[in-house]
Order: sequence, then C-alpha cells, then structure tokens
Amino acid sequence: MSATRHHWIALGLFALFGLLVPLLNAQGFIADTTLNLWGRYFCFAIVALGMDLIWGYTGILSLCQAFFFCLGGYAIGMHMLLKTGTRGVYGSVLPDFMVWNRVEELPFFWEPFHSLPLTLLLGLLVPGAAALIFGFLAFRSRIKGVYFAIITQALALAMWLLFLRNETMLGGTNGLTDFKSLLGFELTQPATKRGLYITTCAALLAAYYLCRYMVHSKVGKLLVAIRDGEHRLRFIGYHITRYKIFVFVVAGMLAGLGGMLYVPQTGIITPGRMDVQASIEIVVWTALGGRGTLVGAMVGAVLVNLLYSYLTGAFPGTWLYFLGILFIGIVLFFPEGIVGIATKLRKRGAKKA
Amino acid sequence: MRKTYLPRLLFVAAILTWIAATGSQSWATTAGTDGETRLFKQLSSAEDEAIESAVRELAERGDPAYYELMHGLFNGEVYVWQERAEHAGLVIIGEEEMDEYGDSIVPLFAIYPQRQALRDPQGAAVVVSLYDLEEVETGRKIRALIQPYLMRAELFHPEAQKRRIAAENIGNKGGAAAIPILRQAIESETDGSIKRLKQVSLAKLLLDHQDATVRLQAVQQLEDLNSPLALPLLQARLQAGGTETEPDAKVREQIETAIGSLKRFGFYMQIVQTFFSGLSLGSILVLMALGLAIIYGQIGVINMAHGEFMMIGAYTTYVVQNLCLALLPPAYTDLFFALSLPFAFLTAGGIGLLMELIIIRHLYSRPLESLLATWGISLILIQLARSIFGDLTAVKLPRILSGGYEIAPQIVLPYNRMFIMALAAAIVGGLLILFFRTRFGLRLRATTQNRDMSACVGIPVRRIDALAFLLGTGIAGIAGWAMTLIGNVVPNMGQTYIVDSFLVVVTGGVGKLLGTISAGLGLGIFNKILEPLFEAVYSKVILLGLIILFLQSRPTGLFPARGRSEEL
Amino acid sequence: MNHLYVEKLSVSFEGFKALDIDIFELEENELRVIIGPNGAGKTTLLDVLCGKTRPDRGHAVFGGLELTHLSEDEIVAAGVGRKFQTPSVFTSLSVLDNLVLAMRMDRGVFKSLMHRLCATDRQRIEAVAERTGLQDLLEEMAGTLSHGQKQWLEIAMVILQEPKLFLVDEPAAGMSDEETYKTGLLLQDLAADHSLIVIEHDMEFVRQIARKVTVLHEGKVLVEGSMEEVQSDPRVIECYLGTSMEREEAHIAAS
Repeated sequence: MSATRHHWIALGLFALFGLLVPLLNAQGFIADTTLNLWGRYFCFAIVALGMDLIWGYTGILSLCQAFFFCLGGYAIGMHMLLKTGTRGVYGSVLPDFMVWNRVEELPFFWEPFHSLPLTLLLGLLVPGAAALIFGFLAFRSRIKGVYFAIITQALALAMWLLFLRNETMLGGTNGLTDFKSLLGFELTQPATKRGLYITTCAALLAAYYLCRYMVHSKVGKLLVAIRDGEHRLRFIGYHITRYKIFVFVVAGMLAGLGGMLYVPQTGIITPGRMDVQASIEIVVWTALGGRGTLVGAMVGAVLVNLLYSYLTGAFPGTWLYFLGILFIGIVLFFPEGIVGIATKLRKRGAKKA
Repeated sequence: MRKTYLPRLLFVAAILTWIAATGSQSWATTAGTDGETRLFKQLSSAEDEAIESAVRELAERGDPAYYELMHGLFNGEVYVWQERAEHAGLVIIGEEEMDEYGDSIVPLFAIYPQRQALRDPQGAAVVVSLYDLEEVETGRKIRALIQPYLMRAELFHPEAQKRRIAAENIGNKGGAAAIPILRQAIESETDGSIKRLKQVSLAKLLLDHQDATVRLQAVQQLEDLNSPLALPLLQARLQAGGTETEPDAKVREQIETAIGSLKRFGFYMQIVQTFFSGLSLGSILVLMALGLAIIYGQIGVINMAHGEFMMIGAYTTYVVQNLCLALLPPAYTDLFFALSLPFAFLTAGGIGLLMELIIIRHLYSRPLESLLATWGISLILIQLARSIFGDLTAVKLPRILSGGYEIAPQIVLPYNRMFIMALAAAIVGGLLILFFRTRFGLRLRATTQNRDMSACVGIPVRRIDALAFLLGTGIAGIAGWAMTLIGNVVPNMGQTYIVDSFLVVVTGGVGKLLGTISAGLGLGIFNKILEPLFEAVYSKVILLGLIILFLQSRPTGLFPARGRSEEL
Repeated sequence: MNHLYVEKLSVSFEGFKALDIDIFELEENELRVIIGPNGAGKTTLLDVLCGKTRPDRGHAVFGGLELTHLSEDEIVAAGVGRKFQTPSVFTSLSVLDNLVLAMRMDRGVFKSLMHRLCATDRQRIEAVAERTGLQDLLEEMAGTLSHGQKQWLEIAMVILQEPKLFLVDEPAAGMSDEETYKTGLLLQDLAADHSLIVIEHDMEFVRQIARKVTVLHEGKVLVEGSMEEVQSDPRVIECYLGTSMEREEAHIAAS
C-alpha cells in the first residue's frame, strides 16, 4: 500500500468515526451510550498501540501495561475529584472517600492535580517515569523474555495490592468515582460526551501517526532487530538497553494517555482495571489484531471489547471461557492475527489474479 | 458432688454416643425425668418467678446435660413452640434466615440433652417462622444465676475447644469466686495444654489475693509457665497509682524479673514462630515452584496455568473425601486424605499431559506465546471449576493433623503446617533420587542441557518432555492436595501463590533444583520476617524490590548455568 | 597504536578452564589465523575480545583501551568488529536495512529516530554490497538468503561498522569451494587496512589466507609461526593426532 493512499484511508476513517458518528449522535441517530462505548474502545486502542510497539515490534512481553493505564486514569480522576469541590456527598472540599476515611488534610501528592495542564502532563510523565525506572532496572541487568514478563507481572500485582489499600489515599477498592465536570463542562451533558469522544479519536489518530513514524524510522528497524537477535545488535555497537527503555517508556505513556481519556468517559477508575488479568488482556487485543502491524493492535482492541460487551450481555458467564479459548486459539492457529490473515488472503488473491 | 462428677460425665457421654450411634428420635422422651419435666414446664410458663426458681434448681443440680439449655437461656435463644410436645415445648433457635416472603424463619433444635436439629417425620429439618415462637425471657438476675453454671460446665466440657476458651476467659473475668472451681478443673484436666492454660488463669486470679506470699507464688508460677498472656497483667501491677498496683515491694521485685524473663521468652518464641511460618510458606512455594521449574527447565515453557493444577489437586481431594464420606463407615472416613494423594497426582498430571499433547507441544520454541496460551488454559480451568463446584468448598482436616505441638502456652506449631514442610522435604528427596539415580532422571538432565545432542544419542526427547510435564503438573496436584489442609478449596486458589512461585523460579535460576529450593525457602522466610515490620502488602512490594535489586547483580538467578553457549 | 595485546587471560566455566593465555599479540593490519582442536578456546578468546564473556582475570588491550572493562557497545566504538560462527543477521529485515543498522554512525536513540539515509551513506552501502556480492539482493528479506549469502551479509555488516580489529569466526563453514575461495580473497583484501583474527578449521582455506598461524590447545597458546612451521611442529601433530587417537579408542571402547 502506498504511503499516500494509506494517509487517505487513515483520515477517512477518522472522518467517519471521529466526525460523522458524533454528528449522527447529535442528530439522535446514534445513542449516547453507543458513542460512549466506542469512545472507550478507542482509548483501549491507544493502549494497544503501545503494547504493539513493545511486544509486537520489539518482542518484549510487558505484563504491566494496565498499571500504566491506571496511572494516567488516576491522574485525571484525581483532578476531576478536586474540581468537584464541595459538590460531593459530604459537602467537603476533600474527595468523599477521604471524608469517609477521616482524612483531615489533602495528601501532598494530590496538590499538583488542582491544575489541568499539570494533570495532563503528569498523566503522561508518571507512567513514563515508572516505565523509565522499572525499565532501567530490568533491562540494565538484561532481564528479558519470560523473566521480564514474570517480573512485570509481579510488579502489576504488587501495585494492584498497593492501590487497593486505603492508606495510599487513592480510594482503595472503590477507586475514584462521582466525577462532576472536566474543564468546566458537566460530564453528564451529551455535548461533553461528544467532545470527549472526538478528543479520543483525535488522540488515537495522533498516537497512530506517532507510532507509524517510529516504526518506519531507523528506530523501528532497530526494534525489530532487537526482536530478531538482540545479542547480535549489541555486537554491532548499539546500546540496546537505551532502546528498550525508550520503547517501554513510549508504550507506558501511550497507556497513560489511554487511561486519561478513558476515565472521564466511564466516570470511575478502580484498581480492578490494573489487576494481573487486565494487563494480559491487553496482550490478547494486540495478538488478535496482529502483532507488529499497528493497525492490528487497534482493530484487536476494538474487536475484543465489542465482543466483551456483547457476550456479557447475551451470554453471561461465558466471557472467561471465550477469552481463554481466544488466547489459545490465536497462539495456536492465528499467530499473525486478523491483519496477518487479511494480508495473506490479499496476496493469494493477487497471485490468482 | 465433686467426687461423683466425673463418672456421671462419662455416663452421660456414653449415653450420648449411644444415642448418636442409634440415630433414634425417641431418646427425648426416655431421657427426661419427672423432676426435669416439672422444671421445663416452669421455664415455659412465661412467669418470671417460676423461671427463676427453675433456673436456680437446674444450676444447683449442675448436670452438664443442661449445658445447651442454659447456654441458650443465657443468650436468649430458648423459645417455646406450642406444637412441640416434648420438653414442655422448649426449643433452641438457630441462625435467623429470610423466607421467600421476607419473613424471619429459624431452624429449631432440641434443648436436652443434646442440641440436635429437630426433624419432621419425613426427616427434613424443622424450620418455623419467628412469629410462631415465644421467647423465654431471662433478665439480668436470671442470667447471673446461669453464669456460674456455664463457667463450670464449660471448664469441664467434653469438647477441648470449649474448655480452652473457658480456661482463658476465667482468668480475665472470673474473680475470686472462680478460684475453687478452677482448682478442681485443673485437677481433672487431662489435656496438658489446657491444663497449663488453666494454671495460668489460676495464677492470674491469685495475683489479687490479699496474702502477699500467695501473690509472690502466683508471680513465680506465671514466670515458670512462660505464658505471654500474663505480660500485660503483670505490667499493670507495676504502674504507679493504678487500681491494681502491687503494694508489696518484694512482690514488685519478683514481678519485674518475671516480666524480663517472659519478654525474653516471648522474643525467642517470636523468632521460632517467624521461622516456622516462613518455612511453612517457603515449603508451599517450593512445592509450587518445583513443578514450574521442572517444566521450564525441560521445555522452556512458563506454565501460567500451574496454579490451576494445584487447584485440580485440591478439588480431587475434595471429591475423594465426599466419596469416602458416602461409602466408608464413619470411623474410616479420615482415610480419604491418604487415599486422595495418588488421585491428586494423577488427575493433575493427567490433565497436564493432555494439555501438553494437545496444545503445549506446538509452542516449544515460542516461550512468550506459550505463556499466553497457558494463561488462556488457566482462565478456562478456573471457570470450569466454578461452574462444577461453586464458589466455596472445604476439605475437613484429618484428625491426626488437627491441633499442633505446643512449644509454650498459646504458641502452637500446627501439625498441618509441619506436614506440609515434611511433604516438601519428601518430594525434594524423591526428585533428587529420580533425577540422579534413575535412567529417566539422566535422560531428563541430558535433554535439559542439550536437546539436539540428546535426540542424536537416541533419547526419546518428545516422550521425556511429556513425562516432565506430567511430573511437573502432578507435583502441583500434590501441592493442591496439601493446600486443602490449610485453606478452603476455591476455583482461584491457584492464583494466590502463582506470582510468588514465578518469582521463586526467576530468583533460583533456571533448571537448578537447588536454586528453586533455596529461593523458595528464602522468599518464604524473608516474607515472614518483613511482614511484622511492615504490612503484608508493603512487605510484598519490598520483597519484589529486593528481588529486582538482587537480579541487578545476578540476572540469571542464584545458580546460573554458565558455559559457552551460542545464544544468538 | 592499533595493536592488540593479551596477557594472562583466563576464563573458566564451572571449574573447567576454557582459556588460559599467557601472552598473545597482534600487530596493526596483521592477519592471524587461529587453529586448534575442538574445545581449544578459540571462540572463547573472541568472546572475551568482543565483550561477550568476562574473563576471570587478565588483560586484553586494544588501541590503548582495556577491553575487559568495556561494555559491548563501547568495544565496538573502540573499533572491534565480530562475525559470529553461525550466521546471525536480522531475518525479518531487508538486506539493506541490515546494512543500514550496521553502518558506523551515531547510535543514540534520538539520532536514530531522526535518521535519514543520505546519498553518501547509500553509496557506501552499495560499494560494500558490491564487494560482498550482495548488490542485487538489497531489497530481499535477509531470512530468505542462502547460508553463504548470510555469511557474506554478516561480513558486509562488520565492514560497514568500520572496525580496526576484525574478529572472524569460521567464515567458510557451510560454503561451497568457490564461495570459500572468494571469501578468502575478501579477507586478504581486508587485511590491507584492518587487523584480522580468523578462526578456521578448513586447512585448505587456512593455507590460502594464512601468513602467521597460532595454535591453541586446551586454552593455551601451543605454537605460533608460519603455516609450514606450525604444520611440521611435533607438538601440533601430537595434539591433533592425540585427540583423534583418543577418540578412536573411545569409539572402540564404546562399541
């Protein structure tokens, strides 16, 4: 596919989903809930792009992406709770859960989240910094492959346990909820929802182009080279650790971005979003769509979540079976994912023609 | 009275066992005597005075067979149900529930001589609405009459657990009046641990004696008994100006030395306990991680469903238990535990083998993919267990393994934990023999080191792989079998330890039995050392941090494999 | 200046002494062939020189830098390039991309992010591709190349790294006679402006390229000298023959 044609398709899809759908929603043809649901899917697609960079291209299986997602989500959640002011149940300037836990004073780390620009910055920088520190320690000592997966999973578990506690001042098991407004717009207003939806679509488009630029640059080749033969690359003289940290940080920040857009649209963020399974599900989105293709990651994220919404409604109790089968089926039969299959079919068609 | 007590107790106990064994329902009418019938009538009369005199008489008789009735009266659980002919309609109610109309309903129990569920002629438990019952009102005065009876009955109760609780309570709130009863109870006590507890309680009560020499002896006694329970009490006695301050200088001095020695003893005990619980946790981790490590060493697959094989072992034990309860005579039901061991191993190993044959063998050279596929398997297995067995089931503890070894009053090292440690040691020993003394072990070690070479010299590599998988998952099944001793059997029980056992494998180094064992025990003990210092969650975070730091200097674990390997 | 000096270098794996070299020297632009029976420590020596294996003790100094203290990328920056025994190229990338990655340039993350292939770089790559016979394969996936082509691609990659010291591990393995001969010519050509250490088993090939030969045996330097000197040295004959006789005995005992 030529580059210009590619751009036209990308922009066309954006015009369709990012502009036409909200327009139809404003006219009443598409329900608010549907719009909201798709907005969330697109948030997940942003997360999946990061997963594709680190796993699909670089071959590093990170099982803590959901933690980064939640870091972004909690950041914006904290901001929105602070903006709620005295409109909470207890009429205090403090968030409700703090009143409930008899906290008298706002914890120091909540202070920066009064300002929206700072919140947006921290929503990217905190997951980025977490990835930087953790990546530095892990990659420096050349933990890789299965070991890296296990260590990140342990990290996800430990952080999940930490966020569940009340003392961490992040709402414990119940997380953060009862948000009222963002940037002065009431979250319950359909117009606000449309605005968030369009922002998400634009962010997804931007994230996609960022990733596309990366994988087409020399860095992208290097990431693939790391996947193919990390050792060899080391003896060509690259400081592999720096590249790995870089891509881990980018993936973490993309997850944080997804989280920041997600929380205003769902109105709640709980530690449940970052448990061990949540991170692994992100892997399956990417795998289903097709690794190392970017498009596949986005398609997979939307598709798996569509299926989730459908199955939990239509056949409750079957979701975990389905997810399990999906994991096994993809790995055994479709390691290339949907995009891989599509490419193969197209090639076969081209040969016949 | 005192002398006739024991034989009577034994007699009643014998009757009770006989009744329980025959399972007959006619016992209630034959057991009551005329006097009792009169007393029961008084109780159901709804007249305060009649009730009071009946309670007084029952308390004076002191017959332990009234225990359930008196206990029920004390707690306001005795009601009159007009439809019941026996015991003047007196019944004990059970836990309140809601029926489908939202009304409160309660199951009913007999008051005498055993708290046995009432059954209708069809054998179904009798459950009635609370509106059909009338409470036997017992005011504070009546309850005060009951209390000494209850205290005595509990101190001499046939159930050890009841005696234990009573012995502890009496030391805290018994008062001087309890001293003679307690002395009797010490004399008749047969269980060494409860006897010590009673002695501690007696000494605690004697601390308030007016005679300084008695108090001095009591302090010495507490010191000799090494009971940590006495520590706050003794400290209160040293506080200046308190209501309990010890006036006598000599006794105070004695208290000070007693406190010192108790604290020292407590400290040692804490160390022992920490190591014990650390070893216990470590043994569980080793049991879990061994199977993981064998599989990972052999075929480079991290089995994310490993915890679920443990769960399968636990459910197998549960099923075998239920079969035994249904098929074997009651005296032999405890055999289920020993009986279920091979089943646990074979079921888990068999399912593991099946999984290897169908799925895993296609993923040998793709470790990350196999990780995802096994995660998928784990989701399916958990959901299957949930739909087959529901959410909560438990295996009952075999009698030999209940209780524990008491190293000091109140400090018990439970037998079930010891059993798990012994099991871990036995399995490690067995594996060592298997690895280093058998042909299979030799082949296994050879394939772990160099697959291609082993295939060249004619080792059936594929079969060895499958057997390694069976072995690894089978050991997980055994771990699950053992885990039924210390916890409930729930579908996601495997998840509790799985991440920790992954960390054990990572920390220990690949394919090294010794690494897995030392990392498992080390992590277990470290965890238990950190836990009292920080909370469990923070100690987990700290432990992860420590592991990451450790991997900074030794990225391939404790016992890395070194050599000229062309890993490009 | 570009002189390699190895002193008292020893490496052991779980008690087994793989390498124990007293002194080994290489002049600037010298081509040295190292031979020796299996397990003599040839590959281990190269592993130490390129930073893959850390020695237990000893020194390896190149261009005034102590290689045993440097990380892999620092060693490459110091001018040491290595071609591995089994051809290792990046199979999911094109030949061109493989070469671009290998080319000497700033290896920082952000430089790589901004990198554009300029005309002079392209010319350099094409020149090296021509030299290694890859000029028509630039757009092919590296994974589809034949074994010999992969070997050449790897050599081309090392050339583009512009090393001063070139470590070559069994370049002729798996090549046809003609390919082997061409490889020999290429290596001799390279020796004009590179120092080379070549490990090889193929005696025909060794004879073709060798000027000075070092024989390693059981981790130690056994003999150094010209091909003729080495071949007639009784110790060399013994070590080669000895191992083969032991093998024969073992074979007889086994059957």
